[in-house]
Amino acid sequence: MAELALRVRSLRKRYPKVLAVDDVDLDVWRGEVFGLLGPNGAGKTTTLEIVEGLTPADGGEVQVLGLDFRQHGREIRSRFGVQLQSTSLYNKITPREALDLYGSYYPKRRPTSELLDLIQLADKADAYHVTLSGGQQQRLAIGLALVNDPELVFLDEPTTGLDPQARRSLWEVVRRMKAEGRTVILTTHYMEEAEALCDRLAIMDHGRILTVGTPLGLIQELKIPSVVELAFDGAAPEAAAFARRLGQPVEVRGGLWEIPSQDPKTLLPQLLDAAEAESVPFQQIHMRRATLEDVFLHRTGRSLRE
Amino acid sequence: MSGAGHMLRRQFVMEWKLYSRDRAAMFWTFFFPVLMLLAFGVIFRSGSGPALTLVVVTAPDGGSVDSGLEAALEHGPLKLLKLSAADAEARWRKGETAAQLDFPSGAPRLRMNSYLAAQGGAAVQIVQQVHLIAEAKSRGIEPSLIPIVMESPGHTRSTNYAAFLLPGLLGLNLLTMGLFSVGMVTVSYREKGKFRRLAVTPLPKLAFLGGQVLHRLTIVVIQSTLLLLVGWLFFGIVNQGSYASFAVVVFLGTACFMAIGFALSSFAQTTEAYAAISNLCFFPMMLLSGVYFTLDSAPRWLQTAVVALPLSPYVKTLRAVFNDGAGLGEHRLGLLLVALWTMAAFSFAVKRFRWS
Repeated sequence: MAELALRVRSLRKRYPKVLAVDDVDLDVWRGEVFGLLGPNGAGKTTTLEIVEGLTPADGGEVQVLGLDFRQHGREIRSRFGVQLQSTSLYNKITPREALDLYGSYYPKRRPTSELLDLIQLADKADAYHVTLSGGQQQRLAIGLALVNDPELVFLDEPTTGLDPQARRSLWEVVRRMKAEGRTVILTTHYMEEAEALCDRLAIMDHGRILTVGTPLGLIQELKIPSVVELAFDGAAPEAAAFARRLGQPVEVRGGLWEIPSQDPKTLLPQLLDAAEAESVPFQQIHMRRATLEDVFLHRTGRSLRE
Repeated sequence: MSGAGHMLRRQFVMEWKLYSRDRAAMFWTFFFPVLMLLAFGVIFRSGSGPALTLVVVTAPDGGSVDSGLEAALEHGPLKLLKLSAADAEARWRKGETAAQLDFPSGAPRLRMNSYLAAQGGAAVQIVQQVHLIAEAKSRGIEPSLIPIVMESPGHTRSTNYAAFLLPGLLGLNLLTMGLFSVGMVTVSYREKGKFRRLAVTPLPKLAFLGGQVLHRLTIVVIQSTLLLLVGWLFFGIVNQGSYASFAVVVFLGTACFMAIGFALSSFAQTTEAYAAISNLCFFPMMLLSGVYFTLDSAPRWLQTAVVALPLSPYVKTLRAVFNDGAGLGEHRLGLLLVALWTMAAFSFAVKRFRWS
């Protein structure tokens, strides 16, 4: 655990219209599942592409498995595995053939039958790629990232566009990777995915790392264990008068008012009184613990999925 | 080293395996040139084009107005279509008649359709000639024609149109392969991220590209063999030159047009954009490079301009080697031009090539 799988210092990348990666530092330890969490366009994919050796950086330092791409490109590539956001294979290649073919690129490889079992495609091993479902294609893409028995695996939004069941079966595959002792670095914009899978994560926005920590640690840092939500029929009304009477900030999001609280037990009666006095037409009231979504909201003032 | 060789072989075998699953593409790649050769070879087998038609207006009773002239025309190369005055007029009005012989006031008159001037003009000249001969005979003069000797200068044995066409089709095949099969595939691989996926593996780029190039090369060999076989079986066309020279020219062409395909692919980010760019290059070359016909009657500037495009000197050289048994040295200039194009396109492609 003492060794670094990835070390990034002062990484910068500017595209003509946007500063995609702005002075990013990252340390990922061997054996951990590390997540890059952030909305679309936050710079997660660009960061990953630089680290994978696909895109040259404008400045900064990158060491993958203790090696530098400029001297050890071949070696790094044979020791890591990559699933890109859009991997298109030939239409008429079968999973078995694809795994065999990609396996042939590496000096060290896992048996195809073992991989097919791992990604649960044994019964589709000889079907053409075009005939596979989205979830099956995605599992194959992840299988291809594992053909060389890699020490480090990059997964770029592995579950985007999948239904909940397909997503959960992919989470299983990621947990297996960790159990096998691999380091996994993944990007996602699903907070529940980050919470479920990651040992540690970095929250990214506008090309910068805002904070790094364990999911629980980041939530606890907020010092607001709970959030009370008031739900309305249709859009939420103006909250200013209510917030003044309550003496607490109120966030308006979609059809909800959200009131973060350190002490929900005392907040609740005050809140009901204030609602009565202002005749707030709310329909439901929920109490929930704070999530990574709240961490992001707190750090950026914006929601993850805007 | 054997590792890279193994990967190259693997890549090559896979390319063929996947290619063989695309039946439609395979069919058109291999049989389209053969079909073209068969179709055009048969249509123009006699050496002349299709027969010219002349409408001849009959007398009101259905007989001929000028039986002497008509009889003389029957022996000529024209196809006579005898119609009543009304029918002939209706056909003329529809614009289908190129040339018509009628007798509005008893004397013969020729009507020519300016829209179909090529056919009409030729038909009218033949009628004039037949008429003059008949006229001379009626005055007691026996006109003599200038003898015609049919020869095929510079061509030892291959004299039919199919023989002219075959090297042109071979050249056209190479152009199609380079622009569409190599260029289009490169753009689509880049667009769909296939290259990026390969770039994160330790597979040497050369092994991947080498597999692709070898695959296209074997396609060219099969295509050429098929064309030569059909040419030989159906039209008796055989290579008049040495097969070594022929192979050298075919391989040079393959290299040239593949390089052009790779170079062009760097101009387009999407397959749609590439389709437009490649068509812009393909059609002028196909139409103006002497694949189907010589450009001898085209304007001077066009003939000069076209020599600068690689397909024109290429087809000329290939034709000379294949049909006339020319040595490579005799067509140094053409080969040099093609080689220059190859080198320019290749260095440009290498410089501009991007995996993503």
